[in-house]
Amino acid sequence: MINFGNPVSVSYVMSDFIKQKLWEIIILNTSAQEAEWLRQKSTSSPMELMTGFVAVPRSVSKKIISIPAQVQAELNAELKGFSVENWSLARLSRVWLLTQIDASDKEAYVKNIETLFDTAEMNELVALYSALPLLSFPEQWLFRATDAVRSNMGFVFDAIALRNPYPEKYFSELAWNQLVLKTIFNDKPVHLIEGLENRANEKLAATLSDFAHERWAAGRSVGPQVWRLVGKYINETLLSDMEHLFQSNDPADRKAAALACAESDFPAAKDLLARNHELENAVKSGSLNWAELEY
Amino acid sequence: MCLNHNENTQNPSHFEESEEANVSPAHREIAWNEYKDLIKGMQFFDPHIHMVSRTTDDYEAMRQAGIIALIEPAFWVGQPRTGLSSFKDYYSSLVGWERFRSSQFGIKHYCTMGLNSREANNEPLAEQVMEILPLYIYKEGVVGVGEIGFDDQTPAEEKYYRLQLELAKEAKLPVQIHTPHRDKKKGTIRSMEIALEHGIDPSWVIIDHNNEETVKSVLDNGFWAAFTIYPFTKMGNERMVKVVEQYGPERIMVNSAADWGISDPLAIPKTAALMKMRGIPDETIRLVTYQNAIDAFGKSGQIDVTDFEAGHAVDQSAKFHGNSILRGGQQPASAKDSLVIR
Repeated sequence: MINFGNPVSVSYVMSDFIKQKLWEIIILNTSAQEAEWLRQKSTSSPMELMTGFVAVPRSVSKKIISIPAQVQAELNAELKGFSVENWSLARLSRVWLLTQIDASDKEAYVKNIETLFDTAEMNELVALYSALPLLSFPEQWLFRATDAVRSNMGFVFDAIALRNPYPEKYFSELAWNQLVLKTIFNDKPVHLIEGLENRANEKLAATLSDFAHERWAAGRSVGPQVWRLVGKYINETLLSDMEHLFQSNDPADRKAAALACAESDFPAAKDLLARNHELENAVKSGSLNWAELEY
Repeated sequence: MCLNHNENTQNPSHFEESEEANVSPAHREIAWNEYKDLIKGMQFFDPHIHMVSRTTDDYEAMRQAGIIALIEPAFWVGQPRTGLSSFKDYYSSLVGWERFRSSQFGIKHYCTMGLNSREANNEPLAEQVMEILPLYIYKEGVVGVGEIGFDDQTPAEEKYYRLQLELAKEAKLPVQIHTPHRDKKKGTIRSMEIALEHGIDPSWVIIDHNNEETVKSVLDNGFWAAFTIYPFTKMGNERMVKVVEQYGPERIMVNSAADWGISDPLAIPKTAALMKMRGIPDETIRLVTYQNAIDAFGKSGQIDVTDFEAGHAVDQSAKFHGNSILRGGQQPASAKDSLVIR
């Protein structure tokens, strides 16, 4: 395994609670026949379970599932950031089947999961990456996970980067920053990255400043959400970026600058914000927040 | 592949041996302008063609000639594979990149998955392939187990043929059977006997590469009979017309089996034109060049005709894994009649 110098290193076995919740959602969305097929596959030999994982769309509908708000809240309480909202039934079924693979023999378990990755087509990859926070031996999948960030398959990238709690927990700072930068670079909604605030860091803030300078030099704009990652790290360089934003014709840029400055302890940033009364008041009253700049 | 024009030999196809390749062409050449009006409005389904070995020109010509869907059987790619990874990547390409490439020309792409008979003879590798094959045959758009069967008719070939018949039975998938070129008649009969021995319903089995010598027993036993129109082999399209005249359209289908040898991806539209010229009814032509293939492979439950019958919009700037079939600055469609290639 590649060592990312990750601070988190716990041996983690998924709670039965989540398996059970997923099954409850499946029952709510399947016919009796579909559910029986899944149940049968889940209790069969590893190879039959794995072919079942592949064969899911042959036996289970691809419709988008509906999920009671309370069940989603329970999932989230058990595993923060984990969500199955807007998943297809096929994706949910595949993820559930993965949670049913016997993990008692680590070597066999890892070999089986690796084989599924190796032979997967795109929808299978999406299910596999969605399931990473639920798999046993989570550190084992770090290389795969960072590889998904390198993927140029949009759906695969989304499966690891957005609404997935795995990267926040296990990615090194370097891998994390790469994930965030690529999300920004690909113009995807950064606020859907789990742990965005928690894993904000000075290096990322500095890189984002460089990124903005490049874009501005090329006459291009920078999404206002980018600046939610720099507030705590505002220094002289970032301060001049804030000044630049306050002078932008785009109101979203000015709002982003105000929000970032408000998060900073850097005195000059406070002064800068104070010179923009209206925005300062909007931030203080809470009428302006980052959610407004999400898209 | 190198073609030496000083030697009067042709390249063998994957189902043909070289000694028999040097025969006079039975395939009648017809220019597009001569036959395009005859098949105007017809739609074709090629149930056997190896697109990984073909060019974008072929895809364009096929679509123009009315081919709207095809099946790409897993086969021997010419260069023997030396490891499991080559098989994995090849199988993945059949449901991945090649399927995407086909979609870029408005042609719906299906495939059959299997361990071909030639490479079944490499037993240590064949064992490994059999271990992962189940993970491929259940993928979406896989309409059968194929092409499997006999080449040299060795014990190893028989062993993996039988194992794959069981796999097909378990997965409820049709079977696409390659028949050998040498000792064809015996090989064909043996293939059918073994399939029946495994309790497989013959209406789920497509016996491929038939000729006049094999067709009767194939049809009499309730199997589908596929004919490969391939230049320089014994099955040319003029004789195909005669077969259809004699046996009618029931359980008969035509394919090109175009691959890396000298072959013709337009074999089906050309044969349809020839049938039309010879006065074969339109409905018969439709059955043998389109509908029968859909009925046979549709038993997989993986063919939805609404995916291709109404014609689907082509966006050549679409991407697969972030890659397009276009290279920097290329325009999506090229002007084929232009002398200047831009």
